[in-house]
Amino acid sequence: MRELPFETILIANRGEIAVRIIKTLRKLGLRSAIVYHDADARTQAIDMADTAIAISGDTPIAAYLDSAQIIAAARKAGAGALHPGYGFLSENAEFARAVIKAGIAFIGPAPESIELMGDKIRSRNFVQRNGFPVAPSAIEEDDRATFAFRARAIGAPLLVKPSAGGGGKGMRIVRDLDTLEDAIAQARSEGQRYFGDGRLYVERYVENPRHLEVQVLGDSFGNVVHLFERECSVQRRFQKIIEETPAPALSPGLRKRICETATGIARAANYRNAGTVEFIFSGGEFYFLEMNTRLQVEHPVTEMITGIDLVAQQIYVAAGRELGFSQSDIVSKGHAIEARLYAEAPERGYLPTTGKVLILQYPDGDGVRIDSGILQGQQITTVFDPMLAKIIVHSPTRIEAAMKAYRAMRDLVLLGCETNASFLARILADEAFLSGQVHTGYLEENPHIAAGNPASDLSAFLATAALMTRPVRESADAVPALHAALGSWRN
Amino acid sequence: MKHSFEVDGVDYQLWLSPCQQGYRLHLRDKVIAPVAFSYQGDGCGVLTIAGESEPVKFAIDGDVIHVHIRGRTRILHYRDPLRTLACADNEEDHLVARAPMPGVVVKTSVSPGQLVSAGAALMTIESMKLETVIRSPQDGVVDRIHFSEGESFERDAVLVMLSKEGR
Repeated sequence: MRELPFETILIANRGEIAVRIIKTLRKLGLRSAIVYHDADARTQAIDMADTAIAISGDTPIAAYLDSAQIIAAARKAGAGALHPGYGFLSENAEFARAVIKAGIAFIGPAPESIELMGDKIRSRNFVQRNGFPVAPSAIEEDDRATFAFRARAIGAPLLVKPSAGGGGKGMRIVRDLDTLEDAIAQARSEGQRYFGDGRLYVERYVENPRHLEVQVLGDSFGNVVHLFERECSVQRRFQKIIEETPAPALSPGLRKRICETATGIARAANYRNAGTVEFIFSGGEFYFLEMNTRLQVEHPVTEMITGIDLVAQQIYVAAGRELGFSQSDIVSKGHAIEARLYAEAPERGYLPTTGKVLILQYPDGDGVRIDSGILQGQQITTVFDPMLAKIIVHSPTRIEAAMKAYRAMRDLVLLGCETNASFLARILADEAFLSGQVHTGYLEENPHIAAGNPASDLSAFLATAALMTRPVRESADAVPALHAALGSWRN
Repeated sequence: MKHSFEVDGVDYQLWLSPCQQGYRLHLRDKVIAPVAFSYQGDGCGVLTIAGESEPVKFAIDGDVIHVHIRGRTRILHYRDPLRTLACADNEEDHLVARAPMPGVVVKTSVSPGQLVSAGAALMTIESMKLETVIRSPQDGVVDRIHFSEGESFERDAVLVMLSKEGR
């Protein structure tokens, strides 16, 4: 195989995904360069990268959105290609165009594909025109003056979404049409601030659907394959928490149909590089939701069951190589589950948590993969997304995978910042989850999973804390044993 | 002497008394004995409680103890009896709007001296990309705004202080 046309790749991202990309670059014998804001100066990705270039901004997030600084850094590092990761500038067509104009290969789809498929409105129109199913919707841009009116006409419940962006940011459910205007104003403000784009659209909100998605991969020679589906129905506030593949909801026939639909959509769009076609699934029917024109957070479960390194494939495609396999070469083997470790307290309404990582011990073992971007001693702040790491397991069957993931969550020790680890363990042991009966409203319908049992094992914790606290021990040691046995006589 | 640990916003009073194999743990409604803890270095130890041994991971940060037992992590704050007394709440004429979560101020909607009614928007904060409006808990007058736009704060920080009306 001929050599890759570049030696150094700039990573325009941070955290676990930057670490994950660097691991593949090392495997391929490529050099890694990374940009970082000062807030990330002492993180694992910076430790691991061959070159790290500081960037600045009014806020840390603004720095990672500053395409001019990032492209300048890529030039300085002598990077021949740029990997945008997910989030930030990964689905920004202008950025992709500027990167290419600077003579640097963009590891992602063509800017035109980002414009077409990365825009929720354009992509759904495109998908509909090509004969694939979509949900009823109202698009602001069609006629701004009648937007709210047309939204009302669809009927409640509605989902208000920013046209740009993803990850659930800025999305609002409207069950009472009287609150529609407020929801529109808030979604617009959030869309404006996070994506620099206040355009909105509204679609019928399907209550309790399942969220399915299909990983696709295309090259510059018109080859498009799928790498099977993922189910991401366990969500809180539209954020995925647990993802798995194969999807327990799908029969073999449906699995084949949804995967072929995704491939068809990608092929119609002449899609190149890795992408994900997302679907809503309810009552045995699925329809197109959106396409993510980038690597997904949950891509590792696909890598586990197919044995294909998606980042390596992205790099090969960006280097102009033809896919080294065809659809029939891609085999789904076993079951993989990913659980996202977040700095948040599900027990208190998923409020974000902060703190310094005092102790960090990840589980290990056969079929256990950890994608993490944090280090012991690191401060967890609210500056960025609350995701700290992903725990991914692979087993022959779903039930074994769930048990392995459960054990991994119980073995994970992160002290210093509260996390959702025991919450994830509760989901993985929950009967509805184990029987595959989940949908996107599953956690809201089962608040006991988030609440946990506040009393469980409390005496063991209090005993440990008491025994470790010198004044508590000292006052015990100061009291003669006989008096102490009489009880709290002093009070 | 009773000691106090706060866990998830709840105070638990307890004390230890010596017994042959270690200590007795006296909680409000029960006594557990024996309890003992052996350090094994590097944040590890073994808790013996009522005849059972449990591996424990821990980290101590001042008065805050982070403990991991049986797959669960809890944060316990030791309430120093002396300091607790000195910090007794002295804010009866004041109302405070506290931060429900750590975040950044997006917008302040009021200024000092302004009369506000219960439920009035005081401030818009953002945390993890979600905006939340902080509202006045009661009628009152804005005394002080502790954080300005763009500033970040921790959970429970006082965001806006108000005085009760007609004071």
